[in-house]
Amino acid sequence: MHLLASFVFLPLTFAAADSNSWSEILGTIGVNPSTLGIEILEGDSPRSTSLGFRATAKRITVRSVEDLRNPKLKIVWEKSLDLPIYEMPADARIFTRERWQQAPLVAGLQRDGHAILWLATSPGSPRYARFPYLLQALADLGLEPPFRSARLWAFFDSSYRLRADPDYLARHWRAAGIQAIHAAAWHHWEPDPQSDEYLRRLVEACHRQAIQVYAWLEFPHVSERFWESHPEWREKTALGQDAHLDWRKLINLANPQAAATVADGLRALITRFDWDGVNLAELYFESLEGAANPARFTPMNDDVRAEFKRIAGVDPMEAFASKPFLDFRADLARRLQEEWIGRIKAICKTKPNLDLVLTHVDDRYDQTMRDKIGADAAGLLPLLRQHDFTFLIEDPATVWHLGPQRYRDISGKYSLLTDFPEKLAIDINIAERYQDVYPLKQQTGTELFALVHTASASFPRVALYFENSIAREDWPLLAASSAFVERAERTGSKLAIESRRGVGVRWKGPAQVDNRPWPVANDTIVWLPPGAHVIEPAASPPVLRILDFTGDLRSAKALADGVELAYQSNARAMAVLERRVSRVEIDGESVEPRWMGNVLFLPRGQHLVTLTSRDTQTSQ
Amino acid sequence: MGRLIAALLVINGIVGQAADSAFPVLEKAYEALRAHDYDRAIVAFTQAIAITPARASIHKDLAYTLLKTGETEAARDHFGEAARLDPADDHVALEYAFLCHETKQTAVARRIFDRVRKRGNTTAAAAFENIDRPLRDGIARWTQAVAIDPSNFSGHEELARLADQRDEFALAAEHYEKAWRLRPDRRALLLDLGRMWQALNRPADAMAALIAASRGAEPRTAEDARALLPARYPYVHEFELALALDPSNALLRRELAYLNLQMEHRREAEGLFERVVEESPDDLLSAAQLGFLRLSRGDENGAMPLLNRVLAGRDDELSDRVRAVLKMPPVLHKQSETSRTLPGEAKMLGEKSLEKGYLKDALKYLRVAHENDPVDFNVMLKLGWAHNLLKEDEEALRWFNLARRSPDRSTAGEANRAFHNLRPALERIRTSIWFYPMYSTRWHDVFTYAQSKTELRLSGVPLRPYVSVRFIADVRGAVGLGASLGPQFLSERSVILALGIATQPWKGIIGWFEAGEALRYRGAPNDLGRIVPDYRGGVAYAKGIVAGRAFAETNLDGIYVSRFANDMLLYSQNRTGFTFAPAQLFWNWNLTVDSRGEYWANFVETGPGVKLRLHNIVFSVSALRGLYLVTGSPRGPMYYDLRIGIWYALTR
Repeated sequence: MHLLASFVFLPLTFAAADSNSWSEILGTIGVNPSTLGIEILEGDSPRSTSLGFRATAKRITVRSVEDLRNPKLKIVWEKSLDLPIYEMPADARIFTRERWQQAPLVAGLQRDGHAILWLATSPGSPRYARFPYLLQALADLGLEPPFRSARLWAFFDSSYRLRADPDYLARHWRAAGIQAIHAAAWHHWEPDPQSDEYLRRLVEACHRQAIQVYAWLEFPHVSERFWESHPEWREKTALGQDAHLDWRKLINLANPQAAATVADGLRALITRFDWDGVNLAELYFESLEGAANPARFTPMNDDVRAEFKRIAGVDPMEAFASKPFLDFRADLARRLQEEWIGRIKAICKTKPNLDLVLTHVDDRYDQTMRDKIGADAAGLLPLLRQHDFTFLIEDPATVWHLGPQRYRDISGKYSLLTDFPEKLAIDINIAERYQDVYPLKQQTGTELFALVHTASASFPRVALYFENSIAREDWPLLAASSAFVERAERTGSKLAIESRRGVGVRWKGPAQVDNRPWPVANDTIVWLPPGAHVIEPAASPPVLRILDFTGDLRSAKALADGVELAYQSNARAMAVLERRVSRVEIDGESVEPRWMGNVLFLPRGQHLVTLTSRDTQTSQ
Repeated sequence: MGRLIAALLVINGIVGQAADSAFPVLEKAYEALRAHDYDRAIVAFTQAIAITPARASIHKDLAYTLLKTGETEAARDHFGEAARLDPADDHVALEYAFLCHETKQTAVARRIFDRVRKRGNTTAAAAFENIDRPLRDGIARWTQAVAIDPSNFSGHEELARLADQRDEFALAAEHYEKAWRLRPDRRALLLDLGRMWQALNRPADAMAALIAASRGAEPRTAEDARALLPARYPYVHEFELALALDPSNALLRRELAYLNLQMEHRREAEGLFERVVEESPDDLLSAAQLGFLRLSRGDENGAMPLLNRVLAGRDDELSDRVRAVLKMPPVLHKQSETSRTLPGEAKMLGEKSLEKGYLKDALKYLRVAHENDPVDFNVMLKLGWAHNLLKEDEEALRWFNLARRSPDRSTAGEANRAFHNLRPALERIRTSIWFYPMYSTRWHDVFTYAQSKTELRLSGVPLRPYVSVRFIADVRGAVGLGASLGPQFLSERSVILALGIATQPWKGIIGWFEAGEALRYRGAPNDLGRIVPDYRGGVAYAKGIVAGRAFAETNLDGIYVSRFANDMLLYSQNRTGFTFAPAQLFWNWNLTVDSRGEYWANFVETGPGVKLRLHNIVFSVSALRGLYLVTGSPRGPMYYDLRIGIWYALTR
């Protein structure tokens, strides 16, 4: 019998620990406390003393702590705590200690096959208030999450990874549950042999790992060289200066000549590389300070000023903070977005498998965004009736300090605004926050997992900004945090799982799902479609397995000579097969598909695919 | 990839390093690299660095491997280390600089490119220009923006950061300061300002900025400031400079007020608290403290409005404190739903633990109680007693000293007494005098023993030298019982001048030795002379246990005295009983033995006793029944003894 290791029923014991807080912590990576199998101790107790964690008479006021897996990380508690200094057993592994005096605060023990996690005090409230890396510590002690997802998107900026091996990155991303990367395309706006070659290698490496690659655009920034070459089209601030704000160098897309030139460049960019989609991101104006800071307030180029003067009879330079101009500005942003969606959709006619994503800051949860940057989601969402795209909601910097609950609220607000809730997605910004947030400036560890987990439960799709800002320590548990399972019950050797968007279940050996041999699985994971399913051990594996798949699986069936599966995918889908098959039928018609090694490319949309392996070929 | 490995092999000269201790590990690293197994290679290179940390080439190879995995910051750090180990290697310096630039350490990158370009390196020159030009342009743009709108916070901040990255410290300092003045609550800017002033060699100003950032700022800024501040506590004048820079920093002012209070500069403290209360009317703690200070100097009119404000405020614990001081009945408060250990609860638990002798628990709870209410002088007093009982006298002294400032007379009085009793023990020179006249029915005589001892406490040395004068007398001079010996400590008429040395107490044990001369002021027939050498020494152990009213105590003394035929005596005096302050009722259990087998020095005795303590004087009466342990006693095998004594001790 093949059982999931984490379902070997080792009871979780919380000696002197608050089990509620641990349920919340473990829940962020889908672990049920009753199956943890690791003893957790908090503070001074007879049990911890018997193991050698002894409180001395010395005490310490703890405010800054150091996690030894990343000692450079500045972990600061909002409220300091007076704690005893503990002696550690000789065989303890210290995970976390006080920064200034190095007093141990979190440690682990493994004795006689039994693992113990000890903490000098409780995790605090919120649950990541004191020790961000408790889940990583548990993983070091043997915890293996039972579920994983492979549906995450991540933004990627090559300027941070110029010398990284694309194959290494792609393997690393897919292992963490990344389904698509949205690669900064402005670095490749102008053809350049060296940088083009890098991007091509990256796209290929991603496709080999079944990762889709989107062209991420940040209009009205076009490219560095474009800005240098066209000073006449530079956007202006309300102080009349060129709008070089932070890293973005903004172009006046309201100018018809500029827009036409940019449109030509966009077509060239999209056709030059093997993209799976385009992400039109953050096409509105600056800045989060709104009209309060004229040095950052845009657009104030001649075209916009002339148009507004024509309508309102006043130069907006004199009245940029007025309601009429702010309304005009929001409408202009909407018009520009609509115009560029149209242009991209026109390009899609020649590349029909391209997906389109519109990344747009939230202005419903934080309602100041419309006046600050011209963002108006309510004006844009009706475009979903005309165009097929994913509306990726970016939570603005003004709310990054709030907890994961905000994703439920944002989801609730946006679901009311559209008839296409399945087209909504959420972008989690993993970045240093300007607010006073504790214990970390940037989300990592349990806080990040809580954000990803709640977002995954609230939205059909979750994107992470960006892959380079995700801490190295978080990658191994990211796929688990993005999995959302409504129900998991074991009865004998059967495991009943219910999930809204499908899930990967850790499993060893052949499996059958709903009493049928199951073909979508690899050596450690069984991939399930949405809904309720029952997994149980099977006598033998199917003749062909789909090891990995980027689309939304609807159903799958092991055939005597192959596999049949139904899927839906907004972008081109990729299936990683155990081996190549000789015959591929899509919706009943035999096709000559595109292969890359054992990766089979399938068209976007909803399709039924039959793969038969009567006459199989091995990969090259 | 092949090129990378080849380069690494050449750079490292690995072929010729067979004898190298890191060689086997490095071999594994390169083998992993050939297999594109970067993770394994990183582990092996890291192990090699642990074996030979000073070899730049391994850091460089590890850095290149880390770059393959996208670990840019880690790669940067290893290039940095390689550059430090081999400063002549411009190639490594440039790699380091490029990665500094990629990882937002622009100022460092710019400095390195600048240094290398001055050696004629064209790559460095181009890279320098690529960094410097946008900084120059940005500085020009934002200079113009803040000139148009001087109240533009983000303009000043941006300008300061650009200038900071371009090492224009004066410009950066100017605009960090302007940005901070526009938003004084953003004290993180004081950290940047402090850094700039350090770079401009303005240490006093830098210190002031960092102190201001470390107090009253959000915890993260405070911790960052702590990392930049020296480990010592700031001086008063440094606090004052910080306050001059950041006069709206109420917490900084309050801390200075408490510092003055600690230094017994009450007037200055009061002035500072007045300013805090004036500028931060919601700071009830300062209002209460100021009220207490005024109350303690009899300014009831000045104190009451402040204390009434605290009473009307929302801080229930503080308000209860004020009620206690004003002898007002306490008010019942609704229990907080969020706090599981209420401040009052902590105090109660602390007091109970202290009462029951669970001293560590007492300390724990009392510390919590003190954190919750830093002006609860009763808690300070209890903390003093808890430390005292734990033999942590320096800490106890600190708490007693604080508690002495209580506006409550009884608390202040008790703390004052404890402070004065304890302080001499911690003074460098300590003089103690004790005097013990005692009447014994067994001997029908009055004996008097006294000693004056002045000892020197040497820091870090566990021994204390001292000068001693002992006085021994009996009124009748009648207890000359042996052929050549009198019962030591009973029948003598001497003044003994001696130099001695004693150990510091260790778990209740003290060792001591004295060498001196005994001057007999009244001769006896069997005297060997008026001035006789006197050597004596011994070990003493004392231990007491208190549980509520019950107590048990033991005193063990082993004494050697040269003048009495080199006799050695062991006294064990034990008492168990109950305390009904200021009286104690107890039962005696005593044993005395000696090495010479003298009858008067070998006996057991038991019986009830009572003590009454009045300040430094203890009256004691014991009724004892004794049994001699050696035969041949001239007084029969058993005796009764009613012992009445007065003990007086004084320490200065």
